[in-house]
Amino acid sequence: MLSIKNLTLRCGSQTLLEHLSLEIGPGEIVTLTGPSGCGKSTLLNWLLGHLDAAFQASGSAQLNGRSLDGLAIEARCIGILFQDDLLFAHLSVGQNLAFALPAAVKGAQRRQRVAQTLAEIGLEGFAERDPATLSGGQRARVSLMRALLAQPQALLLDEPFSRLDAALKVQFRSFVFEQIARLRIPTLLVTHDLADVPPGGRVFDISTWQPQHV
Amino acid sequence: MAHAERHPLGATLALALVGLVFVPLLPGLLWAMGPSLSASVWQALLTDPQFAQALLATLVSSLFGTLLACLMAAGLATRLYPSPAWQRLQQRLPLLLSVPHAAFAVGLFFLIAPSGWLARATGYFLSWASPPEWVTVQDPYGLSLALALAFKESWFLLWVLAGVLGEQAVARQMAVARSLGYSAAQTWRLVLWPQVAPRLGWPVAAAFAYSLSVVDMALILGPGNPPTLAVLTWHWLSDPDARLQTQGGAASMVLLALFSVSAALAYSGWRAWVQRRAYPTGQRLPAVQRPWPWQAPVLGVGYAALGALVVWSVAQSWFFPALWPDAVTWDNWRYADAAPFWTTLWLALAVSLLCLPVVLIWLEWGPKQLNAVLYAPLILPALPLVAAQYAVLLHLRLDASLLALVWSHLLWVLPYMLLTLVGAYRAFDARLMTSARALGCSQLQACLRVKWPLLLRPLLLAWAVGFAVSVAQYLPTLFAGGGRFATVTTEAVALSAGGSRQVLAVQALLQVLLPLAAFALAFSLVRLRSRNRQGLR
Repeated sequence: MLSIKNLTLRCGSQTLLEHLSLEIGPGEIVTLTGPSGCGKSTLLNWLLGHLDAAFQASGSAQLNGRSLDGLAIEARCIGILFQDDLLFAHLSVGQNLAFALPAAVKGAQRRQRVAQTLAEIGLEGFAERDPATLSGGQRARVSLMRALLAQPQALLLDEPFSRLDAALKVQFRSFVFEQIARLRIPTLLVTHDLADVPPGGRVFDISTWQPQHV
Repeated sequence: MAHAERHPLGATLALALVGLVFVPLLPGLLWAMGPSLSASVWQALLTDPQFAQALLATLVSSLFGTLLACLMAAGLATRLYPSPAWQRLQQRLPLLLSVPHAAFAVGLFFLIAPSGWLARATGYFLSWASPPEWVTVQDPYGLSLALALAFKESWFLLWVLAGVLGEQAVARQMAVARSLGYSAAQTWRLVLWPQVAPRLGWPVAAAFAYSLSVVDMALILGPGNPPTLAVLTWHWLSDPDARLQTQGGAASMVLLALFSVSAALAYSGWRAWVQRRAYPTGQRLPAVQRPWPWQAPVLGVGYAALGALVVWSVAQSWFFPALWPDAVTWDNWRYADAAPFWTTLWLALAVSLLCLPVVLIWLEWGPKQLNAVLYAPLILPALPLVAAQYAVLLHLRLDASLLALVWSHLLWVLPYMLLTLVGAYRAFDARLMTSARALGCSQLQACLRVKWPLLLRPLLLAWAVGFAVSVAQYLPTLFAGGGRFATVTTEAVALSAGGSRQVLAVQALLQVLLPLAAFALAFSLVRLRSRNRQGLR
């Protein structure tokens, strides 16, 4: 369970969001929509613990009963997927995945887990490849698996489908939703495209929490 | 993207203009270095009593200086990025960057010399009557020179790093790696440095090449007898004795070889390290607290050096171990020799204003593959190039003329201006040019009426950088000018050999003020022009 209580976000004297409270259950995907530049990504950055110094936030967040307030990014156990895949260019595809695997998976098992994961996403034998040689759809899948292999307790999706072309978008979207349902982790998706909303999922317009004058 | 058009006239003009600066260097190098290619010259060089010690001082000061600069810049970035402290550090860099090397060296001299502020502060509390017998400046191994180079180049490297780290992708990679459970320090080591370090290769090479062949700072802070190899080479090259001149040519080849060998070693070391990269083990280490604010001393030395210059420039008498001058006066400024100031001003104006259209024509019509050649003066030791310029000028009987002086500066001002402008020029939205052409403008008209006015901000910044680079030139001014033209830079170095510290401080500060004034002018022009045009800011 990921819960946000009474969050107010400001940038200087301007209020971006106020009194936002939200609870997301295990395996649930909650969608936040609204035009660009309205504070959606800022909200994700706050949850991630990566808020730019220009913004001020008040409010609290909990993940599975554990308070996130004041925790560093690396201590939060929250995964993130941006619209760019952000694969590390100096590592191979396999090493990118191994980077995310917990240290408890040791030795030869690591390569085995990586190979198995690649096979699951239809990229068998891609471990030694340079990420730059992959297609956009392939990179997006590797990027998602990298976030999931670290065993996050919640997932944030920052317009992860917006850079993909129409056919890929549909494919990758259902792939992401399947993985989240399998792992049963709370997920917050922000997008400006209503087509991204998973079937039956709750949707909120960000303007719900915006002061009238914005 | 607009399709690149062939413009034979523009391309010819671009090549001809840039060729005027670069092509004469080819016969020049032959004339300057040719006579040095004989065994007897090399034997004389290697057995010269000063050579070994000078080589050692050069190696220590350049290697240690560059290494320390890299460590300071990398250490600060690793500790501070991402944090508000990193943003503040970035805002403070431009002032320190615009301080010329020679002026900083004079300021540092005033700080760490046996009668400097550091010794005064110590002596004040310990009641010393006379300056201590420290060898803090002009030490035989060039350590104080290394220190000065390390600070000056660390600001430059931090500035380059600030550019790279300002990219959104870098900030997001940091966020992604940390969201996978790695601390910021581990992310730096495993993710950012392997990707950022290759992009620092050329800037570090430029800093190293500079420190190998620096003469002005070495005269102020470096060892005296024997001096560094660069200073020794310069002495030999400007000696009337033809035998010593060829020896100087050989010594400048040694500098070139030192650069190539070190660069090759550093590159292969990097390659070896990359190949040894281990398979990720997934080990997450807890974050360590960020202890001491490192940035304070790295920037503080710069401010203290400037402060020492200011205080000395208004000091009447200032005896050891007083912390402050006994009396303050404007006389040092009132009776200062203004001639070097005016010479520097017109020279820098002429050079930078000449370069601006050349850079624009080159960027618009010149062959892009040749940019690398234009950057060569930035990463090559300056001495062989200056010697080649001088040989050409002697052959054309143009040495010690105004024309020669301006021409000699172009070789360094042009690449710096190109480097400053190229990013903004490439990033210019080509569709705006296409629109202008579709409205009936020729390419030249479209440039004059749309592209260049829109690039006003980077253009003025490039102009100010060019101005600052010209102000700081020491070797070309001495060689091409034949000693007839004194600029604030040559004057500050000459005065540092002895004489009134007050007079020296004034000339060094003038050297700081000229580039600062150029940057201030550039920024106020941008502001004036963009008052009603938000898109130009």
